[in-house]
Amino acid sequence: MTVPVARRYLFAEKGRFAISVAGVAFAVLLILIVLALYRGMSRTGQTFREMPGALWVVQDGTSDPFHSVSLIEEPRLDSLEDIPGVAAIVPVLARQMQFEVEGKRTDGRLMALDLPEDAVSAGLRNHYAPPRGAMIIDETLQRMTGLDPGDSASFGDVSLTVDRVNSRSPEILFQYVFVNFTDARRIFGVHDVVTYGMVIVEEDADPEAVENAIVASDPALDVLTKDEMADSIRKEMDETFLPVISILVGIGFVVGAAVVGLTIYTATIERTREFGVMKAVGGSAGFLYRVVLSQAAILTSAGFVVGVLGALGVARLAIEAVPEFATEFRMLDIAGVLAGAVLMAVLASFVPVRRINSIDPASVFRA
Amino acid sequence: MDSLQGVILSATGVTRVFGQGESAVRAVDGVDLSVRSGELALIMGPSGSGKTTLLTMLGGLLRPTSGSIWIDGVDITRLSEAELAPVRRTSVGFIFQSFNLWETLTVQENVELVLNMAGKPGGAARARAISLLKARGLGARLNFRARDLSGGEKQRVSVARALANEPRLLLADEPTANLDSIRGREVMHLLRDLAHSDGRAVVVVSHDQRVREVADRVLWLEDGRFREIGQLARDPVCGMTVEAEDAVTLTHQGRTVYFCSAGCRWEFEQAPERFADAGPRDAGV
Repeated sequence: MTVPVARRYLFAEKGRFAISVAGVAFAVLLILIVLALYRGMSRTGQTFREMPGALWVVQDGTSDPFHSVSLIEEPRLDSLEDIPGVAAIVPVLARQMQFEVEGKRTDGRLMALDLPEDAVSAGLRNHYAPPRGAMIIDETLQRMTGLDPGDSASFGDVSLTVDRVNSRSPEILFQYVFVNFTDARRIFGVHDVVTYGMVIVEEDADPEAVENAIVASDPALDVLTKDEMADSIRKEMDETFLPVISILVGIGFVVGAAVVGLTIYTATIERTREFGVMKAVGGSAGFLYRVVLSQAAILTSAGFVVGVLGALGVARLAIEAVPEFATEFRMLDIAGVLAGAVLMAVLASFVPVRRINSIDPASVFRA
Repeated sequence: MDSLQGVILSATGVTRVFGQGESAVRAVDGVDLSVRSGELALIMGPSGSGKTTLLTMLGGLLRPTSGSIWIDGVDITRLSEAELAPVRRTSVGFIFQSFNLWETLTVQENVELVLNMAGKPGGAARARAISLLKARGLGARLNFRARDLSGGEKQRVSVARALANEPRLLLADEPTANLDSIRGREVMHLLRDLAHSDGRAVVVVSHDQRVREVADRVLWLEDGRFREIGQLARDPVCGMTVEAEDAVTLTHQGRTVYFCSAGCRWEFEQAPERFADAGPRDAGV
């Protein structure tokens, strides 16, 4: 245990120390919140991964559920049932549309699965296929609209009652409203056309072989895996937000490094004579660098801890205020920010270290 | 080299030139000096004579333009900056006019830190620091901040710090300048004891005539060179020691009064009664 010079110097100016920690914490908070938001948003499309269909039959030329409409004559799906490896093909109707809750219009993505009675568990039906006249929403939509079980919403001239509220979904761009397949036909005004066919593959079957067989059997159809469906939605997020997020993370890093750098630089300038005395009495360059680096490390560590706690708190508060605000904190991201903070401390020490190098130890003899 | 004969510090032809061409100033000009173990050498001289420049070179803080300086048999003028740091850490102890303590550290930490710098670990460094400070009568001040001490206490901490790594050479720059007469006298006697009892070589730069009482040798530096000391006198206005031969003079109440400059003489002339102890103080060494 040696004399804690760095700590003494930092704590000698408690006000400045607090402001500097707050500055670093702000940078860490900004970076972490942006990353957590990105991670949360990246989970959009997760609904497709959670549904039981490994493959999704779409109209040929359909790129994703957003930008292209898929329309498939329902009898075409019937002909696919006999393909080896197919356990069931579930007709799906889906469309983004507005609906009314107590006179207020809200966006949602209606989805209706025509689940066969014998192919799926009761739990699945509870989750995705309500009885006629009912709908299933999630907690996010519940908080956005105020809809509780038993409340109604109007989809054109069709009124549906909330039957069940699923746990919060990771969807960002819109929230899913699962409705009964027959109700969906009425709402959309279609009879023998569906949007997709959700393919439930037999347990021992090879999904890729099934996919190839479906495409080969009907050239008017295409097949996307559930991951491709989810990724096509996520791609939208990545293209829109990744550049912005990268810039914000960069700004956070620069702000953090600048705060630490300026604080240590100011502390070094103010203590030029004391560092000069250290040099004069034989303090090695390594010893002096350690003092500067230790100051930077203490500041950065304190700022990092406060920043992480702040980010968790802000995320919690933000979700209360904005229900669709989806965040996900990953240990790997936190570790990455910590590594960034360490880099910040090292870079921030560079200028003060140069300053120390330039101190003339003989100057301490001047009164 | 000379260390076997008891010489701890040896300087040969030490010269320091600041600036170049016509504006070049020879602050120290071909100084030779040897200080033995157990000897206290006092360097005096007018302001600007090169005393502090010489001291900084002797301590390895400033490189001479030419000449060599040996400390404990090591020619420090040949060492790199990285090699000089350990010499300053272990072979030289510095005592400064303005104490130069680390104000935010405690008294104990001020001494402990130089031990840490020399690679001594926490427990041993702490014990040594406490022992040194107690020996200087600062046992009750160990946990005080350095900034909260009196001038005399600060100088004693400064001495304890200088002794921490047991250097054989002590360099003191105006060690009594910021102290009252009692504290100044204490420090002078302490420096003498450190030379005589502990066998160190002590070099003191000072204007303070009182230091002559404890010095084994007094050297007069003027214009960067050591000169024979003639009659010395004290300027009653600024307190500076001046050589009577070169001083500005005034006859006052039948006595010759010596001044470092015409400014001090003018000040004296305005109110001589303010400077009651006017008059020559010393008749040389």
